[in-house]
Amino acid sequence: MFERFTNDARETVNRARREAEESGADPIGTHHLLLALASPDAGLAHEVLRGAGLDERRIRAEIARLVSTPTRALGEEDAAALRTIGIDLDSVLARIGESFGPDALRTVGEVPAEETLRRRSRRVGRFTPRARKVVELALREAIRLRDRQIGSEHLLLGLIREGNGLACRILVDNGIEPGDLRNALLARRERAA
Amino acid sequence: MSEATDLASAASGTDPRAGLRATLALRRLADSLEALQVDNARRHGWSWQEIADALEVSKQAVHKKYASRRPAAQTWED
Repeated sequence: MFERFTNDARETVNRARREAEESGADPIGTHHLLLALASPDAGLAHEVLRGAGLDERRIRAEIARLVSTPTRALGEEDAAALRTIGIDLDSVLARIGESFGPDALRTVGEVPAEETLRRRSRRVGRFTPRARKVVELALREAIRLRDRQIGSEHLLLGLIREGNGLACRILVDNGIEPGDLRNALLARRERAA
Repeated sequence: MSEATDLASAASGTDPRAGLRATLALRRLADSLEALQVDNARRHGWSWQEIADALEVSKQAVHKKYASRRPAAQTWED
């Protein structure tokens, strides 16, 4: 899927991945993609977001506001740290799974136990279903615009088109109409072309 | 793997970084379990007061933390 990505778009995904990992919330969600697109390194997407009043700092604050649940996903580092004090996270999660079903923790707030388990078998950098959809929609946007490669601006268009992710919620909460943002991006592209 | 082994030997000792990291992980685990069990208790018909008593916190604290989370998490996902 990523073979048609520009370096710019690859870097954006890498930044989103790092953001997700650092927040202990891997897999990558739409809000991590938005954050990565707001980076000055993201070119056109960055300019359009900044024009709409969104910068990295603002988005970080919004993410903190929206996902400030008391629970955070347990990642590989947590598992390693727990081992050092004699707790085997796999056993704990297995026990919980016996009583509540394998994805019990996932249904509670922001704790995707299943994701956590799978992630800990070294498949880091996965996307949430929504974020994956964003990537697929980015590809479609590129095709629609007859672009041969997927750049970060297509990722932003995909994010807007997906429409229901936390990223879009951040846009809407900041008074940004996703459709307007899309138009602003397309207009800027025209000008740049 | 050696990273984990290093950490393991460090945390049993006096390295603050490893010790604090283990504390953080334990808190995350405890928070997850609490969220799951509060939810479970509600489904079993427990009142916020009963849950608060069991957790030895105030009713306000547990209510504030959990009462409104589920609907909010459903509409917009990551």
